[in-house]
Amino acid sequence: MSDGHGGTARRVVVTGLGPVSSIGTGVTDFLDGLRAGRSGARPMELFDTKGFEYSNGCEVADFDPTRWQREVAVGDVGRATQFALAAARLATADAGLSSADLAGARTLIAVGTTDGEAHELDRIVEHEVGRPVADSPETMARRVPVGTLSAAVAQEFGLSQAETITIATACAAGNYAIGYGLDAIRLGEADIALCGGADAVCRKTFAGFYRLGTIAPEVCQPFDVDRKGILTGEGGGILVLEALDSALARGARIHAEVLGYGLNCDAHHPVAPFQDRIADCVRLALSDAGVKPGEVDLISAHGTGTAANDVTESSAIRDVYGKEMPRTVSMKSMLGHSMGAASALGAIGCALAIEHGFIPPTINHKHTDPECAVDCVPNHSVTADLRVVQNNGLAFGGNNSVVILGRYES
Amino acid sequence: MSSPARTPVIRSWSAISTLGIGPDAHRSGLLTRALPEADPTDAFATEHGGRAAVIPSFPVRTLLGKKGTRSLDRVTALAVATVGGLVTGDPANVAPFEADSPVADRGLVLGTTTGSAQSMMDFTRSTFDGEKPFFVDPAKFPNTVMNCAAGRAAIWFQLRGPNATVGGGRVAGLHALNYSRRLLLTGRAETVLCGAAEEHSTARADLRALTDPDDTTRLGEGCAVVEIGGPEGGPESGPGLAEILGVRFGVARRPADAHEVLADCVRRTLHDTRVAPGDVWAHLPSRSGGTESEAVTSVLGTDFRTHTCDDLLGDTSAAAAMFAVVAALVHAAEDDAAAGRIALITAIDPTGAVGCALLRPLPTS
Repeated sequence: MSDGHGGTARRVVVTGLGPVSSIGTGVTDFLDGLRAGRSGARPMELFDTKGFEYSNGCEVADFDPTRWQREVAVGDVGRATQFALAAARLATADAGLSSADLAGARTLIAVGTTDGEAHELDRIVEHEVGRPVADSPETMARRVPVGTLSAAVAQEFGLSQAETITIATACAAGNYAIGYGLDAIRLGEADIALCGGADAVCRKTFAGFYRLGTIAPEVCQPFDVDRKGILTGEGGGILVLEALDSALARGARIHAEVLGYGLNCDAHHPVAPFQDRIADCVRLALSDAGVKPGEVDLISAHGTGTAANDVTESSAIRDVYGKEMPRTVSMKSMLGHSMGAASALGAIGCALAIEHGFIPPTINHKHTDPECAVDCVPNHSVTADLRVVQNNGLAFGGNNSVVILGRYES
Repeated sequence: MSSPARTPVIRSWSAISTLGIGPDAHRSGLLTRALPEADPTDAFATEHGGRAAVIPSFPVRTLLGKKGTRSLDRVTALAVATVGGLVTGDPANVAPFEADSPVADRGLVLGTTTGSAQSMMDFTRSTFDGEKPFFVDPAKFPNTVMNCAAGRAAIWFQLRGPNATVGGGRVAGLHALNYSRRLLLTGRAETVLCGAAEEHSTARADLRALTDPDDTTRLGEGCAVVEIGGPEGGPESGPGLAEILGVRFGVARRPADAHEVLADCVRRTLHDTRVAPGDVWAHLPSRSGGTESEAVTSVLGTDFRTHTCDDLLGDTSAAAAMFAVVAALVHAAEDDAAAGRIALITAIDPTGAVGCALLRPLPTS
């Protein structure tokens, strides 16, 4: 495979996975959820939904941060950071890496997010308008800066020399973080990257999407002719990316290889996706990965389930792949739209699909929209031999990023 | 992909702050240490100027035109206007580029703290104000997402290259610098506009009063953007203004550890870039008179200059480190002692994140 840089760059593999999601937390539970086509949809409880005519979402039920946080005090950080910390703990355990291993390597921590701790800002406003809130405004305000999402991960593992970055490229942020980790390792500037995304549901974002008419009343039905929009979701997804030589030297189990990624900007509209630029982004990713369209076995779509996204995205995919379009699924049918965590959880799903030889389904599917015309593997997962998988992330602001994962072959 | 640059070079810059609009206002302001008078017809400057170091005159509709400016929040307008000053070459005229944009291949990387806290909190407040919680202004919703400013600037000037928003408070400018550097080294972009922006607002002042009630520093605001490219430069760019030798980061577990973590970060950066402590010409902290200066002194001794910005610009938070980069360029051009030597930019954020960058100013021919 070419690396886009004259063949000198280091190969990068995925050695750890840490999913925290509405359909399962930890690799085993999340894998079971994907295989079973589990739905995370239920009435939301994290904020007051009184006055909205419908308010299903995909919250991480019964999330207990005290299970994961050993160093950073639970009360010092907001829910999105708690997801990032839990996901990082799960991912490093899955990779068999201790804090000492991370401290002894050049470690990058990149966490993508849409809203950061906007939930805390919401609650400060609630306090201001005289509603009862459990925490003091001082406590909530300290949790707000988004740099905490990545800095707290370094603090949790005691990594005073780590490079941390929070990437705030909205709903594609998980892929941006994975791409950043890939580049840092390829350039020889990091050996290990903990990267992915985290977000918590919040009133602000729910109200905004609701006002735009993009919230589904009950379930998310990507590519379905009767689709009605997104369900807001939440969670965290962290992947351990590692230089291949480092992974081999310590005998690590390799889930998949990161073959490449692409990123570009629509420069077109604040919120609407733009077909031509999405297609360009896919081409950039394939080129970076040294992969031809015919070699791609599966696409994990951004697949929000809105009228505009699914047609635009599937048309862009068709622009690149023509009639030989790979099966194209949307994990958001199960997970809802977990915002900055979405493409990170998608990438974790892709790695597990490659490793375990199956395709996660698009659930809640009855009739495929002829304008989308994708084989979205409706309702039930299927076994499949996957060598190369594409994971899409598209965002407000025209921030596109596509990651290409492959089966590791020595 | 093009052949990647080895040592990225800063070629040009622009800025907007309490010193005014554009490079000339910043050059003279940084060198004379004099602040311009506020424009009495500017409502925002009149309202906030007594308490904070705000832009003396920021006529958004005059600068950016009337089309499409109504829904822009302040930080977005700041970013669009500053990026515009750089790409048009005229800070006072930043009309949008159409489809045949001359900068379509440019990347844009923008640092932030939390986007616009004011936009986010106003939007949430509107869910409690009306008869229904969804009686909100849909045109304002994009402003509540942190990548709004970078996305709008991309639309304004048709910037279709890599576009990223990085959140890191006072360290954000250094994150933006490193993110941009890697885009160039990997060949994902040949030229990147790299900046950081922070707006002043009531919400920001209120949040600081909650987190740091004892901090009496004047809050400031602004945006600084540098254009970064490969060492060969463009057709008319000449050698450029400064090389970016290296950027490094660290994280302190507790505020009390920040001094040692930053000192270690500076030592690592000097070592990795093969710069001797005696080669450092000047230190430009994101915040003056405290931990950053002590940490740098513990590594370098005392034989270097210190150039501060925050005493002039106020606490510009996410934009602080990028203003320090700009100040390094301005002071290096005026100081014979800078020739062939190194500028050290540092930052410490309340989250515990620290960072530093080493720049080598290039001789201006």
